[in-house]
Parts: sequence; C-alpha cells; structure tokens
Amino acid sequence: MTSNFESIIYILSGYVVILFLIGYYAHYRYKQGKSIVKNSSVYILSITVFCTSWTFYGSIGRAATFGPDFILIFLGPSTTAFTWWFLLRKIIRITKENNITSIADFISSRYGKSQLLGAIITAVSILGMIPYIALQLKAVSISFGILTEKSSLILTKIPDIDRFINTTGFFTALLLIILGVTFGASSIKSVRRHEGLTAVIAFQGLVKLFSMLVIGIFVTYYLFDGFQDIFRRMASAKPQLFTELTTITASTTGYASWLTILLLSMGSIMLLPRQFHVMAVENSDETYIKSAMWKFPAYLFLMNLFVVPIAFAGILLSNSTTGADYFALTIPLHTNYPQIALLTFIGVFSAASGMIMTESLAISTMILNHLLMPAVLKLKPRNWFPLLLLNLKRIGIISIILLGYLYYRIVAETYMLADIGLISFAALIQLAPAFLGGLYWRRGNKNGAIIGITAGFLIWFYTLLLPSFVKAGVLSNNILTNGFFNISILKPTALFGITSLDPLSNCMFWSMFLNIGSYIFFSIATKQNETEKEQVKRFVDVFNTQNKENRDETKWLSKPITTTDFANLVSKFIGESQANEVIGKYLSTQKIDKNEMISEFELPNFKRFIERTLAGSIGTPAARAVVDSFISDMGSYMEPFYDAFKSVRSSLEESREALYVRLKASEIINRSTNLQDTMDNLLNFLNREFKFDLSIIRTFEEDDLLHVRSAKGVMKNRVNLDKLKPIDDQFINQLVMNRKFQFVNNSRNIQHKPGLSATPTDIFLSLAHIPINRGGKLTGVLSLFSASITGLFTKQFLSLLQSLASQLAQAIELDKERAAKEKEQKEKEIALMKNARVTRDMELAKQIQLALLPYVMPEIPGVSFAAFSASTAHIGGDYYDFFPRENGVIDTVIADVSGHNVGAALIMTETRSVLRSQIATISNPSAILAKLNEMLFHDLSRAELFITMFYIKYDTKTYTLTYSSAGHNHPLLYRIAEKRCIPLDAEGLIIGVKREVNFEEKHIKLESGDVLLLYTDGLTEMANLNGDMFGTERVSQLLERNHAESANKIIKTLFSEVLNFAAEGILQVDTSMVIMKIE
Amino acid sequence: MKLASKKEKLLQILGLTETWTCFFILGFIMMDYPFLDIFNKNFSIFNIPYLYFYLFGGWFVSICVIYLFSRTISISNRETETNTEDGEGK
Repeated sequence: MTSNFESIIYILSGYVVILFLIGYYAHYRYKQGKSIVKNSSVYILSITVFCTSWTFYGSIGRAATFGPDFILIFLGPSTTAFTWWFLLRKIIRITKENNITSIADFISSRYGKSQLLGAIITAVSILGMIPYIALQLKAVSISFGILTEKSSLILTKIPDIDRFINTTGFFTALLLIILGVTFGASSIKSVRRHEGLTAVIAFQGLVKLFSMLVIGIFVTYYLFDGFQDIFRRMASAKPQLFTELTTITASTTGYASWLTILLLSMGSIMLLPRQFHVMAVENSDETYIKSAMWKFPAYLFLMNLFVVPIAFAGILLSNSTTGADYFALTIPLHTNYPQIALLTFIGVFSAASGMIMTESLAISTMILNHLLMPAVLKLKPRNWFPLLLLNLKRIGIISIILLGYLYYRIVAETYMLADIGLISFAALIQLAPAFLGGLYWRRGNKNGAIIGITAGFLIWFYTLLLPSFVKAGVLSNNILTNGFFNISILKPTALFGITSLDPLSNCMFWSMFLNIGSYIFFSIATKQNETEKEQVKRFVDVFNTQNKENRDETKWLSKPITTTDFANLVSKFIGESQANEVIGKYLSTQKIDKNEMISEFELPNFKRFIERTLAGSIGTPAARAVVDSFISDMGSYMEPFYDAFKSVRSSLEESREALYVRLKASEIINRSTNLQDTMDNLLNFLNREFKFDLSIIRTFEEDDLLHVRSAKGVMKNRVNLDKLKPIDDQFINQLVMNRKFQFVNNSRNIQHKPGLSATPTDIFLSLAHIPINRGGKLTGVLSLFSASITGLFTKQFLSLLQSLASQLAQAIELDKERAAKEKEQKEKEIALMKNARVTRDMELAKQIQLALLPYVMPEIPGVSFAAFSASTAHIGGDYYDFFPRENGVIDTVIADVSGHNVGAALIMTETRSVLRSQIATISNPSAILAKLNEMLFHDLSRAELFITMFYIKYDTKTYTLTYSSAGHNHPLLYRIAEKRCIPLDAEGLIIGVKREVNFEEKHIKLESGDVLLLYTDGLTEMANLNGDMFGTERVSQLLERNHAESANKIIKTLFSEVLNFAAEGILQVDTSMVIMKIE
Repeated sequence: MKLASKKEKLLQILGLTETWTCFFILGFIMMDYPFLDIFNKNFSIFNIPYLYFYLFGGWFVSICVIYLFSRTISISNRETETNTEDGEGK
C-alpha cells in the first residue's frame, strides 16, 4: 500500500510540475510577444474546461443508474453551439469593447453599471458554484482513496472515505488552492487575460480527452468485443435493467426532468462563471468561434462515446450498480490494470483542477470588483494598496475552494455526483433571463433584472440548496416532509402543491416562472435611467456601425484604463511633453509599462497621483473634480468636453480659480443642448462666483438689433432690457466696431454721459461688455455689472471672460444652425404641400377637360363613329368634336394645340367655345376654319400658340365628304374599292399664323365600307426604343387589315398596337383618334 | 458562372442568423418530447439501443451540419466587413 501511495504521489507531483512548466512557458512567451495561446485550438481546448470530473464519474454513474439523460449535459451545449456565431460573438464583442471582467460585470454593466446587481450576481455565483467545487474535491479525493487504499477493491464497495476526508480531501483542496493562486493571481500586473492559466487548461483538455479515450477503448475493445458485444451481453444478462437504462421511463427520468436537464445544460455553457471567463474574457480573437462551433461539440461527442459501454461493462463485471460513479477507475483496478486506472485518475485530476482554478479565479474576480472594490475606492489610497488588493484576490480564491471543501464535508457525501452538478447549474440558470434579455431586449432594465434574479435565486435556495442540507442531516427533516412552518404547500421539493415534478424540475419551473415574470413585469413597469439607456446601446447595438466610433473610448472605473488615457488627460492641462515626463517618472517607480492597462490593484494609487499632479496646476478641488468626472465619463458623450482644454494649455500665470471657472463654465456650456438653459445657467454661475449684481446676454437678431436673451441678477429690474441699437450706446458701439471688450472699473471716475442706454454707469460701479464672437463673427454681447465692487475687471479676468464668451458663441452658432435647418425643413414641407395642391388642381383640370370631349358618339344612320384620346400629362391640347346637323349631315373636327401645358388646354377650351358658337351660322368647312382663324388669331399670337385642325362635313344622303385642313396631318381614308388607304389633303395654313387665310375646300364621294381615320400627330410620332416612329405606313396597314371591323374595334386595335410599339409601353405624346365608318 | 452564383446564394442563406436559429430550435425540438417518443422504444439496431443510436447519430449529424455552416461564415463575414467599412466611410 505504501509503495502504491508513494508512486501515485510521485506521478501526481510530476504532472503538477509539468502544469507549472507549461504555465510559465506560456507566460514567458507572452512576455516575449509570441503568445502560444492566441490560436483557435487553444481556445477550443480551454472551453473544454466545461468537462469536469463529472464527465468521468457522474456521467457514467448516471448512465448506469438512471439511463440516457447524462448525455443531455453535453448535448445541450452542443445545440447551443448553433447560436455561437451570433450570440457568443456578440458577447465577446461587448466584453472586449467594454473591458468586461466577468459575467457579473457583464450583466451589471448592461443594467446601468449597477453595483447592487453585480453584488447579487456575485452572491449567486458563489453559492451556486460551491456545490460544484465540492463535487470536484469529492471526485479527486475519493479517486485518490480508491487508488491508494484498496487497489484490489471489490468493485461494488466505495472505500471507507472517512479516513480520507481528513487527509486526502484536505490535501486535494490545498493542492488546488496552490494551483489556483499561482495561475489566477500570481502578480500585481495581472490584467484581464491569463495566458498561463489558459495554456494549462488547454493542456488539461488534451489530457482529459486522451485518458477518456484510452479507458473507453480499453473497456470496450480489450475487456469486451466492442459496443455491440457489451450491449448484447447486457441485454441478455439484465433485460429488465437494460430496458430501464436505454429508454426514458417515468420511474427513472421522465420527459419533464429530461427537458429541465436539457435547458439547464444549454444555459450552463454560456452562464457558468468559468465558461464565460474562458469563452469571452480570455478570448483573443472572435474568429476562433468559427471552428470552436463544431470542434467543441465534436470534443464532447468523443468524451461521451464510451460512457455507456463503460457503465454497462461496470454493471456486467460487478453485477451491481452500486458505486457506478467510479466505474472508470474501478474497472481497470478490478481487472488488474492499475496503469490505466492511474491514467483515469490523471484525467479526473485534470478535469477537477482545471475547473476549480478557472471557477475560483472567475468568482474571486467578481468578489474583488463587485464586493470589495467599491469599498476600497472610498478609502484613502496608500502605498500598500496594490498588494492588499492582490492578496484580497488570493484570499477570494482560497476561501471559495475552502467553502467548497466545507460543503463537501457536510453535504456532498449524500449525493451522487451528477445531482450536485445539476444543483449548481440550476443556480446559474437564474442569470439567463437578464443575460439574454440584456443582449436583445431594449426595455429590459435594472429593476427587472435585480428582482428577477433575486426571486429566482431565492426559490433555488429554498427548493434545492436547503433540501441538500436537510438530506445531509444539518437541518431537520421536518421541512421536507411537512413544509416550512408545517405548511404543506411550502414543501421545498413540491412547492405550492406541485407533486408530480421531480425536485429539479420543481425548482426550475417556479424559479424561472418568477424570474422571467418579474424581469419582464418590472422592466415594463419601471423606467431606465440615463446610464442604463446608454449601456443598452453599447450592448444591444454592439454590431451597429455608429457605435464603432466610440469603440476605443469605452472604459470606466474598476476596469483597466491605460496609462495613455491618463497621459492624454494630464497633457491637456500641463502640456504634452511635461505630462509624458511626469507620468513616465511615476511609472518607472511603479513598474508599470507604458501603454499598458492599469490593473485594478494599481488604479487607486494612480488616480491619486494624477490628482496630485493636476492639483499643482489647477488646485485640489478642481483636480479631484476633473479626475473623477473624467473616469466616470470615459467613453460617454462627455469626452469632447475635455478636449475643450486642449486649447487652454494652462500657463502658470493663470490662477487656479480661473481654471476652475473655465472647467465649470465649459461644463455648463457643453452639458445642455437647450441654448436658453445654457445661457441662464452660465449667468447664474458667473453671478454666484463673482458676486455680480446683474449679467445679461444679448444677441444680434435678424433686425440687426441686440435682443436680450437672458438676464440674471438681483438688479435686473433697474436697467433697460429693450431691443438695442448698437449706436445708442457708446460702449456697445465701440465693441461692435473693434470687437474688443469694453469695461469700466470705477464709474465714479467717469462723467455720466447720455447715450449709454445699455451701460448705466449711474447704478453700477464696475461693468464690462464682452463680445460674444468667434472667428471674427460677432453674435452678441455678454454684459456684467457690479454695484459694489470696483476694479473687478483685471486683464486676466477679462481674457477668461473672453474665452468663455467665445465658447458661448459656438453654442449660439450651433443653435442658430439648428434653427436654420428646422426652418429649411419647414419651408420644404410647405413647398411640398403647395406642389401637392397644384397637382390636385391639375388633376381636376384634366377631369374637366375630359368632360369637354364628347364621350357619347353621335348616332346617325349610315355612318358610325368611334373616338379616343389619351394624354400624357394631366392636361393636353388635343381636341375632337362632332356637330350633327339636319338631314343626315354631320360635321367632325379634330385639332391639336401646340404645347401640352395649361395654356394649350385653355386655348383648346376657347377653341371649342368659339367653334360651337359659329357652327350654327356657318356651314362650309373652309369658312368655319377661316372664321375660327380670324377670331382666335389675337389670342393665339399673344400666347405664342398654334392650332392645327381638320374639319370635315359628311352628308349621309349623298355620301359626300367635304373637308378643309388648317395644317393638320392628313387623315387616312380607307377606300374599299381600291382596298388601300389614301391621305386626305387640302391647302390651308395653321391657325394663329396669319390673320387672314384662305382655306381650300375639297369634296370626295365615299361608299359603304370606307373608313376614315382622323388623328393627331401623337399616333404616328410614337417612338419605340430604337427611336423609330410608328409612322403613317403602319397606321395604313392596320387600317387595311382591320377595315371590316366595327369603328370601335378598329380604334381599340390601333391603340393597343401603338402601345405595343411604344418604348416600354408608355405613351410619350398625346394621342387622339376619330374613326368614321361608312355603312 | 450561373452555377457559382447559385452556390453563393445557398451559402448566403446558410450564413443567415435566421438559418442558424432555425437549426438551433430544430435541434432543441428533436431532443424533446414528443419527438423523442419516436425513438424511446425498447428496441435495438445493430445491437445498439434505439434511443442511444438516435441520440448519438443525431449528435454526429448536428456536428457535421455546424461544420458545414461554419464553412459559410467567411462569406457572410466578408459581407459584414464591407458593410461596416461603408458605415465608417460616412
């Protein structure tokens, strides 16, 4: 036994030494700038810290006693991997941009950097993870016991662990504490990332996989004949048990429990503090996710491939399921292969130690940042602070592991390993609503998150953690059987009377119900404050481009700020070279590299140093104010405000008070977007600070007069606050002329003169007018008055006021620009509305115009008509009309007014009226045209418009067509006898060119079947995409082809053909057609 | 040419967040009641219990699917990058 014990100790020590070497090598390489950690394989292997000793023991134990649900612990995270590309990437991006250090930091930052929330999450993590750490300790110390004490152990018996608790358990804890402190909190200079730790965990990931595969292959293929053999033998040896273990039955798992475990494991991969730490905080490149998404599930797959065979093999070999948790260790021992058992032990040790190191580091970071740091920052900084903080972190790690040990001693013996793990998962899943809601739901707020997490956590505590103490005998069993205060519905494992759920599902249901419910309810019912709103943008919109500009500016207190940030701030006050020199000197004494993050341990001292440095030039209160507001405003919209000091570059002559005034005044000017508030606040501030009795801001308005925009002070009513002409006041006039401040330091020395309407020297002892100008442009005047103090306006003071005024000028200008923009916008809107009105009027005009065209065709025996008009614009200049006369005679006219605007439309209307009035008295086409020309000439020549017109008269009795043309395009007549089209032409000038024109009048005999087409030039001038016109040729052919159809049909065919022909089927010009068919 | 653009389009679809979410939900459903009831039978396939066969088989398939997905990332990634560049240019 002794030799066995010793050899195990040697091997274990050797392994630990290897771990140390790897850790230091990684650290060494990192310092050289050649990190071995920055690659995707290491990243993936470090995520496998998810596989704890549970994978070796708990999974197999559960597979051998409960059946298939162990697989969920790994299937859940595998499924979650589907979401990594958008979910994990978003988390990593946010983590990096905001220098997040832990999951508590992540969630509390999202909800307005709430310290309370951070503390609550820290508490949840501590209490939730302690059972889990206990589990690891239990696993390692029992393995140690099995290996050393009774290597020839009967498989079914767990070693007498009592003997080991005092020795191995404690020493395991001790060993893990040393590892944890070494890699987690080795030096003051520790920043966010831990290269050594990551390398060690990745290495352990490999060891875990290797040892699991070896034991699996050993059992499956050496002891047995492969998977099928084990299953076959199991099925025949224990058919009843086999069925139970290979199906989901109500007696073992049940679907409710199945779902619970699945949800828990899906959440745990993202929410466990150590998972968040390795996946988000330690991540060095977000593209690693790409391969991690499938390689990590593949790793889990391999880790689980042999779980069932090992479990069944254990049952077959021992003929029992007792001690199934440790089959991976006891099978090789039982079959006399202690080397393989040792390998399993190394795997288990790797799994447990990796988990404990990262978990305790992650949690102690939370403790430091969310419980201790807020308190420490309030204390007066001392030299030994960094050391104190580092040791606090170490103490954090130590206490977490010791708490785990305590829990293990008290409780863990009574539970199976997997059950303990699930208790931990259930605690951390309480963070899920606030976590996911925070990433995607804008409304989710601090109150909701705090109340939700607290409610869920209390339920968890009551329904899962408390019973675990009861089972361990620490608390009375009465609570479990009879409920709290003997109220049966308060039974922890069957809360509110739900008895059909297992304890885990019972806890999950109630805690999630209350958690999600409160989160949503309080988020909706209460409002977010300003900080929260800003944080929401940083989280929810992290991928939006507009946030990108701020990317490098986002750091804040209790998170690392680089020395450069501070150097920039200081240089704005004391100059760049001096700032660099001072900070460089300080850094050399503090062993902090330039451009490096200031660790949380260094921050208080560094802050103090900066304050001291600034105090040298701006005084202590101002310095403290500057540094405080600088740190808390880092990354917020206040950043440009500090840049205002770039131009100040304090000279030593300038007094400290002046700088303080500058600081405060710029703050006032830059804080508010409302100009009126800005001006009022600034004047109030000046009055308070310098005991002015009155201060006024006047600005030039559009009437070139000075208008009072703001007046503050006790003597406001004593002066004239009307509009002011600069010429009315000598001082103001002077100021306008030379753009220089005007002041009186003792009005007793000057004669009271008229012409000083804005400068009442009879009331005030000293006064000054400061030009509000910027870049040579005078926008207004700042006037300051004191009734009691003389000699107030020194040169320095005036130049200070001058610089304030120029800042104010900028604010005024911005305001004016904004107002101008608004005005422009309004004008645009008005123009748009006007335009809309015109459009509507035009539409109306079109309706009227269409109504002027005859829409019922005349019905004369022996002839049929059809007409059609299409206009491109709202209104057009095309016109046609019919005038039936007595004895079967009918006149038809078609006309086209040049131009397609309103003028054309009006002329067309006029033409129509004139024509209609003349028809009754004149009957010859040529005479009608001549009369029309005469009557319209005047109007047409004034409007610079013309009309082409074709006028026909048809006598149905004699079949005679009489026609005249006023320069109109020739109508086409299809002659049935000739079977072709002929154009009708008659001499005649366009209407509106000459006052007196003679129109030729022609006659032609028609016969039944002849078709006459009158049209405007739009028909033949329609162009296709190539620019070819439709042309008379095509119209003629169409007429010839369709002459037999009815007039209506012909016109429809013509129009559809021309539309087909036109480019993109759109009319480009107005088109009108009239068909007259002889019957 | 046409084939390539079709392939690209398919890859683009696979690169969408929605597609990932769908597969995630699908995986979740396939691991739960009532879907699971199909395979929760006392029955062996090649001597391997039906349920284990399904769970491990499905797991393997899902890993392959994610692997294929991750291959499409370079494309969607390139797109996001160009988008952000545009954004910065503003």
